[in-house]
Amino acid sequence: MTAKTLMASVAIPILAAATLSQAQGADFNWKKFQGKTITFLANSNPVSQALLTQKADFEKLTGMTLKVDSYQEQQMRQRLVTVMNAHSDEADVFMTLPSREGEQFAAAGWYADLTPLTKDVAGDYNFADLSQALLKAGTFGGKLTSMPMNIEGPILYYRTDILKKCGVEVPKTIKDVEAAAKKLKACDSSITPFVSRGLKPAVAYTFSNMLHNIGGSYMANGKSNLCSPKGKEALETYSGLLRDYGPPGVVNYSFPQISALYRSGRSAMSFESSNELRTVMDGGERLKDTGLAPFPAGEAGQVPTAIGWGLTISAYSKQQDAAWYFVQWATSPEIQKRMALQGIAPPRPAVANDTEYRKWIDEQPVRKEWQAALDVLATKGSSEVGYPIVANPQSREFIGQAVQDLILKQKTVDQACADADKALDALIAQK
Amino acid sequence: MPQATATLTPDRQRLELSALSAPAVIFTVGMIAFPVVYTIWLGFQSFSSTGKQSFVGLANYSKLLSDGEFWHGLWVTIALYVLSLVLQLVLGVWLALVLFHAKRLHGIVRSLFISPFMMPPVVAGMMWLVILDPSLGAANYILQSIGLPPSDWLASPSLVIPTIALVDTWQWTPYVALIVLGGLQSLPPSVYEAAQIDGASPFKTFQRITLPLLLPTIVTATILRSVDLLRFFDIIYITTQGGPGNASNTLNIYGFRVGFEFFNIGYASALMLTLTAIVFGAVLAFNRLRGAVAW
Amino acid sequence: MTDAPTTDRWIRWLNTIQLVIAGIIILTPTAWMVMSSFKPSFEVTAYPPTLIFSPTIQNYIELTRTTPFFNYAINSMIVTVGSTSLGLLFGIPAAFAVSWTRISWPAILTLAARMAPGTLFLLPWYVMFRQVGLIGSYTALILSHAVITLPIVIWVLLPSFDSIPRSVFEAAQVDGCSVTRILWRIAIPLVGSGIAVSAILAFVFSWNYFLFALVLSNGDTKTLIAAAFNFVGEGSTQWGALMAAATLIALPPLLLAMLVQRWLVAGLTLGAVKG
Repeated sequence: MTAKTLMASVAIPILAAATLSQAQGADFNWKKFQGKTITFLANSNPVSQALLTQKADFEKLTGMTLKVDSYQEQQMRQRLVTVMNAHSDEADVFMTLPSREGEQFAAAGWYADLTPLTKDVAGDYNFADLSQALLKAGTFGGKLTSMPMNIEGPILYYRTDILKKCGVEVPKTIKDVEAAAKKLKACDSSITPFVSRGLKPAVAYTFSNMLHNIGGSYMANGKSNLCSPKGKEALETYSGLLRDYGPPGVVNYSFPQISALYRSGRSAMSFESSNELRTVMDGGERLKDTGLAPFPAGEAGQVPTAIGWGLTISAYSKQQDAAWYFVQWATSPEIQKRMALQGIAPPRPAVANDTEYRKWIDEQPVRKEWQAALDVLATKGSSEVGYPIVANPQSREFIGQAVQDLILKQKTVDQACADADKALDALIAQK
Repeated sequence: MPQATATLTPDRQRLELSALSAPAVIFTVGMIAFPVVYTIWLGFQSFSSTGKQSFVGLANYSKLLSDGEFWHGLWVTIALYVLSLVLQLVLGVWLALVLFHAKRLHGIVRSLFISPFMMPPVVAGMMWLVILDPSLGAANYILQSIGLPPSDWLASPSLVIPTIALVDTWQWTPYVALIVLGGLQSLPPSVYEAAQIDGASPFKTFQRITLPLLLPTIVTATILRSVDLLRFFDIIYITTQGGPGNASNTLNIYGFRVGFEFFNIGYASALMLTLTAIVFGAVLAFNRLRGAVAW
Repeated sequence: MTDAPTTDRWIRWLNTIQLVIAGIIILTPTAWMVMSSFKPSFEVTAYPPTLIFSPTIQNYIELTRTTPFFNYAINSMIVTVGSTSLGLLFGIPAAFAVSWTRISWPAILTLAARMAPGTLFLLPWYVMFRQVGLIGSYTALILSHAVITLPIVIWVLLPSFDSIPRSVFEAAQVDGCSVTRILWRIAIPLVGSGIAVSAILAFVFSWNYFLFALVLSNGDTKTLIAAAFNFVGEGSTQWGALMAAATLIALPPLLLAMLVQRWLVAGLTLGAVKG
């Protein structure tokens, strides 16, 4: 199986439903479920924070009450697993990452099928404008399980001033990144040339981008494919960059450390989530000397990782039709525009072209580059992070383990990929 | 054994004593009976991958025996336990002695000395994560400014266990010290006076008199710390999540990740029950020791 | 051989030096945390670490602006005080009975709940409390936290009760006192400060525990410690606010310890006196 690329996305049944619903928009009534209370289990990340600034608008529009239960990502998952395993109707709506847990939650029957609900939609919803690729990423077994809230992915943050000082061009290819790192290391030893994720469960997010750019794939003919030449090349390149040009202790690095290192001016190139822009720019020191781009091309060109948070309805909710009103409100063009103005990249190209949003983008040069990078993610991106199997979260462990083994020089690349393939084949075989 | 020279009948007395401990016993049984039974039942189920549940008998337990990650986790748990416990007991007794002799120390300052264990473990973890960052942290900054080489701390597979043990020791030594301090203050002054008349050195006094008398208190502290240390979780959850590689993957962390990150509740239940049995065994052993060192 | 006063002074000196070393090691990280809470968020992870900075209370303002911090604090207070009281109510008589009979299984049993990983209880308790409609209630939270406080009370009080000379009880028995009456009239007044100590420790452990609240509370009854995590996440890590939250969270137990510190030591003192 190859990466689900956004470009290659095919029309899915949703579109049919969408055209139908547009016709029905006329007798749509936002107040249909007046007086009901919807409970929303949220991951307290910037996406939900931006959305919830508009909470009063939803309650006024629909006459419903929105109860928000917000937790940090891992804790939210812990609560979700408990609530869903108990088949509780406590959460009507929750946030989910289809690229991570989609297959698993769909197999467990935790998602409600949104397909029939999409028929009851306001006239201005504009289904066709939603990123078809993200919709597809949220579709399992022909059922649409979640609506996209945003688009995000890892991008390269680089220091224009340091690159200039050291006579390094902005890297265009992966080979350029390695060459640039080498040159930067020789030029200024106080700077960390390159940093990205090294923490075991977090590696897959950035590594997948490298693998896809090189032209590798996680699976071939139903088997794990890390020991293929391209797989090994990706493992070696990624771990080599971090081992030779990364900060000490990179095996514990995820977004907090990476952003802190780059923000404090101690790293020249940082490959990290587009969501971290705000954190990186905090304090304003990096506003003037930062350039942004999708990760440079490999033999297969640029296949950036592009994922998004999805809003879904619990299969155990007793008021799925009312919950849907919250979901469609939250993913409507108007609300996504308001979220975009708070720095949440919209999963709707039309919103990205909105004049008000464009004005916001034009306020700062970094925002322009940020949006340009996200445009590439939206058109060329792949949502495959880790193995496209039910046990995706666990597959990320073994990818991370192989990368760490190489960073710490505990295994040769042949050993590391063989060990990973063996464990992953067992995982793939599990049904 | 207590001699009940009671005017009350022994039966009546037994009944009353049972009634006194009944609320605690009934409450505890009420709270833990269902979770234990439920978890035992879950341990016989498989939730693997598909999310569909099926009865698999002892399969989870036989998987456990052949799971290298389990045995590794057991080893990490024991290594971390022994290292932390020894450090905390030794330093705890030392700190208690220092505080005991600092008679003129103001009460408020004294309570600051025991403050670390009042800090939420989660927060302590976050704080140490920043301090110990190899590139940005204050720890390496201090090392380098006094001319020592920087360390990878939590990011080094060989240093991660000692580093976590140190963080835990920072937090819990004062708790041990507090318990021991209580024991120290209760020692009858007469034993010291006798020692002084004999002209024993301070070290000899400690070794021959203080330490043996303190043993029951130390065992109590050991039991209370063992229960937490064998289930080591918070600080690792915050800092390394079991890494680098699986170098700090304790049984509790492993069980948690299997259950709540990989969603295999059945196998996680088997892991957690096994861990519970280990802690239970340790407590029973120390409880025996408690009887043996009583004076 | 030196003469006695010189040796004494020498030992005092040595002790003071050790005290200073211990103090520096113990207090520096805490001081760093408090200091960080007054820094702009990005400066917390700045390198080299800044010692001189213009202090700001922005983090504390941010904290109260973005989270219903005081509501959470009240929730925490209700749960902590409730579970500590329950722990004392059940724990004092139980400790007394265990001490009297020297049969230790009830004490071990109550500790059993502390032997299992906390995560083991999440799903079963959720199912259990849902059955009786108590999810999100203070009752469920107080009951679950009492599982933590009860063994602390019992184990801290055990040596206290053990230390009361048997003869005191025997005399009372000769006078025709029932066991319960002996507990109320004689034993409890004697271990008053031991009870204070156990209450403090129970308070600290209950206050700092977050796992149970994660599944048993809801948006209205969430505890402070569960909310503190919300400052960590991709695109939303706010070190300053986190440190401010941590400082405020650590404050109530610390203030409590200062208030009763005299009792803390005195209580345990009595606890270990052997009859």
